[in-house]
Parts: sequence; structure tokens; C-alpha cells
Amino acid sequence: MYQFMESLLVEEIKIEPFSFEIERGKIKEFVMAIGDPNPIYYDVKTARKMGYRDIPVPPTFPTAIEMWGGLDFETLIDLLDLDPLKVLHGGQEYRYIGELYAGDTVTAFPKLISAFEKRNLRFFTIGITYKNSNGELVLYSESTIIERGGSIK
Amino acid sequence: MTELKALKKPEITHTQLVRYAGASGDFNPIHTVVPVGEKAGLGGVIAHGMLIMGMAGEALGTWFPRKDLRMFKVRFSKMTRPGEKLAIEGKVTKEIVEEGEKRLAGEVFVKNEKGELKLSGKFQVKI
Repeated sequence: MYQFMESLLVEEIKIEPFSFEIERGKIKEFVMAIGDPNPIYYDVKTARKMGYRDIPVPPTFPTAIEMWGGLDFETLIDLLDLDPLKVLHGGQEYRYIGELYAGDTVTAFPKLISAFEKRNLRFFTIGITYKNSNGELVLYSESTIIERGGSIK
Repeated sequence: MTELKALKKPEITHTQLVRYAGASGDFNPIHTVVPVGEKAGLGGVIAHGMLIMGMAGEALGTWFPRKDLRMFKVRFSKMTRPGEKLAIEGKVTKEIVEEGEKRLAGEVFVKNEKGELKLSGKFQVKI
């Protein structure tokens, strides 16, 4: 078990930026898995009629950008030295600043914001700013990851 | 305060979790591999929290145009398992001004048929 020193950890852990090209097919696969039938995610003509430039990204699609773009579960486990069987997602926040559509390429800049321990639980917060190919800020995502302590069989 | 029309989702299946794992890229085996879920002390697999948030996002899309969404924030409160049927409830609580823009602020809740809370969240949409 590693020594948990939050300030050190937050200082030391650097997460590399990564880029992701958003594709219509990936968006469709994502909403089908959720069971979201909103036609703006399936048909570009409908999306355009509703005032969108192309197929827009669903509100929680950034999770697919993260997982497929470079910050997947295994990477996170290694990076934060977590026990994979004890990891839970505690909370998630998105701030939608600009518009994001299929065809766009985004670059994500992740950062470990905080790490602390409370009542045998370890909390990690990762913030990610997303920029489009013009360098404009389009999205902010913040995830809280919890590692359960104690003895798990 | 305005209540929004609840969205009722079909029963979550094991297959849906496999499908969501592939779509989202979250291959944490506690969501798809039963022996791993058991080893983790969870008594089987549990749904991805982000799948539940995705369903809440679907409800937001039935209440407001996608492009008006400005903020969406949730806390996961209870694990969800295959076989559960969830409903998404929401309400608009107030009008606010943020970043010089008039917005509606509201709350969203995901519950199972027994009324157990799975997720509680907040959102803001442009007026």
C-alpha cells in the first residue's frame, strides 16, 4: 500500500493531453447503448433542420472521448495506483461552453485536481478542458473517482 | 417550480452493459464480468454510473433542446444492477443569470421502481 500524500500526488501526477476525432458512427453507437432515440443523434438532415451544424455530441459523450482517446480505465488505475476492484465513480460534472459535432477533432487537457482521504475512502478529482481545432475552449469535464478502502473479499 | 415529464426506461440488461462498455470504452470488468463483480464484493455486475447519467442526459434531451444545455452535474448514490427498471424525474427550480446569460436551473433524479435513488443531479439550460 502506498503512502497517501495528497499534495505530493497532485504535484507529481501529470496526465498527457490527447486528441480525438468525433465520428457520427461512434455517436450513434453511444446513444444506441443508452437507448436514447433522439433523432438529432441518428440523422444529420434532422439535426441540421433543428439548427445543428452536424450530429451533435450527446451530453455524456465526453466519457467516450476520454475512454477511447487515451484516459481509459486501465490507464487511470496505473496512474493513480488504484485497486481496480475497489474503484467507483462518485460524481461527474460537465460545463458545455461551445458546440461540438461529428467531424470535429478535440484535444483534451486532463489534470489531477485533488486527492484526499476521508473515512476510509480515497477521493480523486480529475478535471479536463477540451479545445477544438481552432484552440477554442468548448467543454469542461470534472470526474470524482472513489477508491473504497477496508477489506474487500 | 415546474415538474418535467418523467422518462421511463426499459429494464437494464446484462447485454446493455456489455454494449455500453463497448460504446463508451469503459471496460472495467465489474460492469461486464460476473465473477469479477463477485470478487469485488458486489454480488455480480453493476451498471456503469455513466450509463445512468446517460439516461438522465436522454431525459434532458426530451425536456430541452440539446444545444441549450450549459451545465450537467450528478452524484451517483446507489449501484444499479441488471433487471432494474429506472425512471428519470426532473424539475425546473429557478431562473438564474450566469456568465451574462439567462438560464433555467433544475434538478434531475434517477430512481428504480422501489423509489431508490440512483443519481441526483443539477442542470442549467439557456432560456
